[in-house]
Amino acid sequence: MNTTTLRRNATNVAVPLVFGVIVLVAWQRFVEWRKIKPFILPTPSTIWHEAVDKVNLLRAASFVTGENAIVGLLLGIIVGTVVAMIANRFRVLSELITPLAAAISAVPIVVIVSILNNMFPLGSQVARRLMVTIIVFFVVFVNVARGLRQSDPTQVELMRSYAASERDVMRKVRLPNAMPFLFTAIKIAAPISVTTAFVSEYFGGTQDGLGQKIASSMSSSKFPLGWAYVGAACLVGLIFFAAANILEFLAVPWQRRRDSR
Amino acid sequence: MSDVQTPTAIAASAVPIPAVAAESVGKSFNPGTRKQVDALVDVSLTIRPGEFVSLIGPSGCGKSTLLRVVADLLQPTSGTLLVNGKSAKQARLDQDYGMAFQQAGLFEWRNVARNIELPLEIRGWDAARRHARSKEMLELVKLPDFANHMPWQLSGGMQQRIAIARALAANPPLLLMDEPFGALDEMTREHMQAELLSICAATGTTVVFVTHSIPEAVYLSDRVVVMSPRPGRITSIIDVALGDARNDDTREASEFYRKITEVREALRGADHAGRSATTGARGIEDR
Repeated sequence: MNTTTLRRNATNVAVPLVFGVIVLVAWQRFVEWRKIKPFILPTPSTIWHEAVDKVNLLRAASFVTGENAIVGLLLGIIVGTVVAMIANRFRVLSELITPLAAAISAVPIVVIVSILNNMFPLGSQVARRLMVTIIVFFVVFVNVARGLRQSDPTQVELMRSYAASERDVMRKVRLPNAMPFLFTAIKIAAPISVTTAFVSEYFGGTQDGLGQKIASSMSSSKFPLGWAYVGAACLVGLIFFAAANILEFLAVPWQRRRDSR
Repeated sequence: MSDVQTPTAIAASAVPIPAVAAESVGKSFNPGTRKQVDALVDVSLTIRPGEFVSLIGPSGCGKSTLLRVVADLLQPTSGTLLVNGKSAKQARLDQDYGMAFQQAGLFEWRNVARNIELPLEIRGWDAARRHARSKEMLELVKLPDFANHMPWQLSGGMQQRIAIARALAANPPLLLMDEPFGALDEMTREHMQAELLSICAATGTTVVFVTHSIPEAVYLSDRVVVMSPRPGRITSIIDVALGDARNDDTREASEFYRKITEVREALRGADHAGRSATTGARGIEDR
């Protein structure tokens, strides 16, 4: 790494950091100056103190939501990729699945979660995880299906000239070509999986998870705690997003080259 | 190189099985509909083993289609085609030919050695044999130190050399090339032409070479096949054979220019024969 890239990286980190600090200070000063009531908007410092005080509660709720999100995310990625591969092989299936997947993803989360909640026993996390799976499935399916279709025609022709089997073409050309698409999908789906888990928790089910905790804190007038849960939700989402980016960086190094070109 | 027979030597000996034998081959797209396009009509061409044959002609003359029919990537709608004395399909299944395109088409996620080894992998060679072969091929294309490089770390000319190494890895008797140097700059292109000739001399490979460039066709070929569009067909076949000792001086020789003129006139004639007499031979490079 030379000095120019070092400086650019430093700038990349510094700019949002400085911006964040400015926003927090402005928020703090504004609330104090206008004497805004805590149930409308608490100061960042109150939220911070509450968060430090109740860190165990935050951690417990974050782990529940994080687990719901990651289980749904992994399931959605696996199912989405496998179905996209099958659909690529059999065109009829692709014409069947695509509208169905689009239709399901157009139904509001509230509705599906309510239906799913009725299907599984009280205290189960399955409904929430399934909800995440459905949302992630759609994102992954659409992207991977496109990636599998858009294989380099020269590479496909070469494979045919080698008399390669369909299985070899899938394994050695289509799948590697779809990898950047898969990781783009994962980058989109990772934060969405957290929000979906979160919203699913909000609409009923067991009394844990960040979604439930925010709802109950707010309704029992524990506003700073509610905001601390919101902060925790942001953090979980960010961790998922960062993890997806690191994963992409490691898994598809040739994509790095394409991006920097 | 004592074991390598020159084309003339082969022609003089007993009649060998032709590398490619096309008899009145035709290829129509959307046959029987109003959108029918006759990409190839009545193409007959016999290519001797070890011969270097170029297909030249304006865009749409069917030269790439002919190459793909030989490769069994397209099926002819009429006529018969034998590759190495067998059906084109059998030749493909036997990996009797290697192929290179204008796009090097290297697999970005594989390093150079693993790119070259791909056709061998599909043939089921074991790892040790594959490594040995890719090492050998890298020597042949003069890039022995690049086995572990990734494709994006190579220049266009180097990528094309790897593509040629890959095409020859399984040691096929026939090499099919579709404008392989079309995307290279002039200097690299001339260098690559010389390399290709020396590789062919070393391996005795038969080459069918599609190009837009008259000098390229003349420099490389034993014979230049001139094609014309609408419908795509062969209009003339010109013997070139500038000899085995081709080098940079050959490009200055009067014989070279004489052959270039001959091919150019054949192309003009072919074009007049076609329907686009007023537009000239588009897509042909005179350089």
